[in-house]
Amino acid sequence: MTMAASLTDVEKTYRTGAVGVPAIRGITLEIEEGAFLSIAGPSGSGKTTLLNLLGVLDTPTAGIITIGGESTEGLSARDIADFRNTHLGFVFQTFNLIPVLTAFENVEFPLHLLGVGQPAERRRRVEEILADVGLGGLSDRRPNELSGGQQQRVAVARALVKEPTLVLADEPTANLDSTTAEEIMALMHEMNERRGTTFVFSTHDPLVMGHASRLIMLRDGQVESDERRGNGHA
Amino acid sequence: MPEIIPGTLDLSTTVRLGLRNLFRNRRRTLITASTVAIAVILMQFSFSLMMGLEQQSFDNLINFQTGHAKVYAAGYFADRNELPLEPTLTDIGEIRSALEGINGVAATTPRLTFFAQLSNGVDQIPCQGIGIDLSGSDTDVFRIPEAILDGAYLAESEEGMLLGSGLADLFEVGPGDWLTVLTKTAAGAYEALDLPVVGVIGTGNPLIDQNSFLIGLEEARTVLEMPEAATELALRFRLGVRESAVMERVDAAVASAPGVEVKGWRSIEDNFIALTKIKRSGQGIMLGILLLMAVVGITNTILMATYERTREIGMLMAMGLRSGGVRRIFLVEGAINGLLGGAIGTVIALVPIIWLATTGWDLTATYGDMDIGYPVRGVIYPAFNYIMIIAIWLATGLLATAAALYPAARASRLDTVEALRHV
Repeated sequence: MTMAASLTDVEKTYRTGAVGVPAIRGITLEIEEGAFLSIAGPSGSGKTTLLNLLGVLDTPTAGIITIGGESTEGLSARDIADFRNTHLGFVFQTFNLIPVLTAFENVEFPLHLLGVGQPAERRRRVEEILADVGLGGLSDRRPNELSGGQQQRVAVARALVKEPTLVLADEPTANLDSTTAEEIMALMHEMNERRGTTFVFSTHDPLVMGHASRLIMLRDGQVESDERRGNGHA
Repeated sequence: MPEIIPGTLDLSTTVRLGLRNLFRNRRRTLITASTVAIAVILMQFSFSLMMGLEQQSFDNLINFQTGHAKVYAAGYFADRNELPLEPTLTDIGEIRSALEGINGVAATTPRLTFFAQLSNGVDQIPCQGIGIDLSGSDTDVFRIPEAILDGAYLAESEEGMLLGSGLADLFEVGPGDWLTVLTKTAAGAYEALDLPVVGVIGTGNPLIDQNSFLIGLEEARTVLEMPEAATELALRFRLGVRESAVMERVDAAVASAPGVEVKGWRSIEDNFIALTKIKRSGQGIMLGILLLMAVVGITNTILMATYERTREIGMLMAMGLRSGGVRRIFLVEGAINGLLGGAIGTVIALVPIIWLATTGWDLTATYGDMDIGYPVRGVIYPAFNYIMIIAIWLATGLLATAAALYPAARASRLDTVEALRHV
């Protein structure tokens, strides 16, 4: 099976003055392509740190991280930006859409970054994904004209439009009511199944955990349990 | 299609984003743009006025004092301020016809400038007398008739003088009054000549208005006992010719004539031209500082924007925007701010510039006869120089971009994780 990402003996220690605070203590993990993986655990267990490491937003103190077959080790700032551009899509708890751009333009934005120069090609891809996430008729609206759920759908479309190796979602349902949260999880699950996109969540939310095809519980920076449920695409 | 570099935004997308972000905080944009606009209004208006003044001053010098060039006897130019009566040009017929044959030269006229004292019997004032050719050649080169404020121009072989308006005020005389000219002949003998004032001239040029009187050339030659002599031969170039090209031909013609030298009006008035340059730089620096102060407002505006949009910057970086791309977004926003303020200021400034460039601004009505440091008089016209106007507008955009450098650099150095956590 092809791996979307793998971590080998990854450690992350934050330094506050002379004191080192370990956040991740030697995690080895393989994430197969098409996984719908949820990372859960109590506060301070290292969920967000692990997600940041997978997102190449942070660098490990030790160990090797490989995404899409490419190691993230020793990359320059520019290479890191390009790496994220090529391999990663993000869905944030607070949606983080660009308020001055319409839904269409927000989704189109990563394609500009990716260097998709043909406007017709960009339009085709954006319209397709917006239709997929059920926002076909709302593409001209700006974020403040959309509900929370609709904004998160735009965010999902924005993460998916460039067909990344990995979509990382940090507490994607935390700012949504339970009905909308369920809709968003169903949407991501559907995208996972239809497109085969790999999703990794960090969450407290039992709803998110319930959707996961694989659930990793962290405690004190280590994997406490790794449960495969078999309801993902992989 | 523009080249697209992965990890950055193409310019049109960046500009579109910048324009939309301008309207994110309209009040702040308006305040920033207004500050820039006020500085640009002052800058555009002052520069147009100054350029207009300079152009009119140069025209004034050419029309009333220097012509486009003057031919002197070799050695005269160095001592010209002492108004010597030698060396002088004597046999000028040949060189005149040579010069008038040059392509681009419209006319030539001989003048005889001399030192004299003017007296009304009570007061005596040192000044310069100028013998002008009344057979018509002086008016082909100079525009003295246009400067007549009172009375008339001298008729051919008429005895009388045209008196500078400042001297007329000092003596409290006008047309019909008599003054005595006291001078020395070339041989050093004292001579006196009573002449009526025929006309009073006001050119705006203090050297003429405050210090000069004009009499017929033949009259001057007679009183100075210098028949056929002239201290200078003034040239006027044809309208629309390239001055430097004609000057080169004149230089070449004079070089082959023995015992004479030629000076273009810019050389004759090099002190004034140097002064205008100093004034221009001085004013440029003052206005530049003013503009800089206005543009610093843009630094503040962009800095505020980077603080407010920290999480957005983090998100853009997470999506793969390189730090150079972040920098470019804010530099473009700075430029747009500057160009917007600059455009507002320029459009507002164009109203008085175009209005005054058409109708003129009557300085005498505003300031009376105050000396404003330029040899101009009466109505002045600001220059409508669209190249300069556009250059000032673009320079504002450039300064504004420079003003955005610090906040843009700061934004591009943000840590992605920290920025995403920013509340």
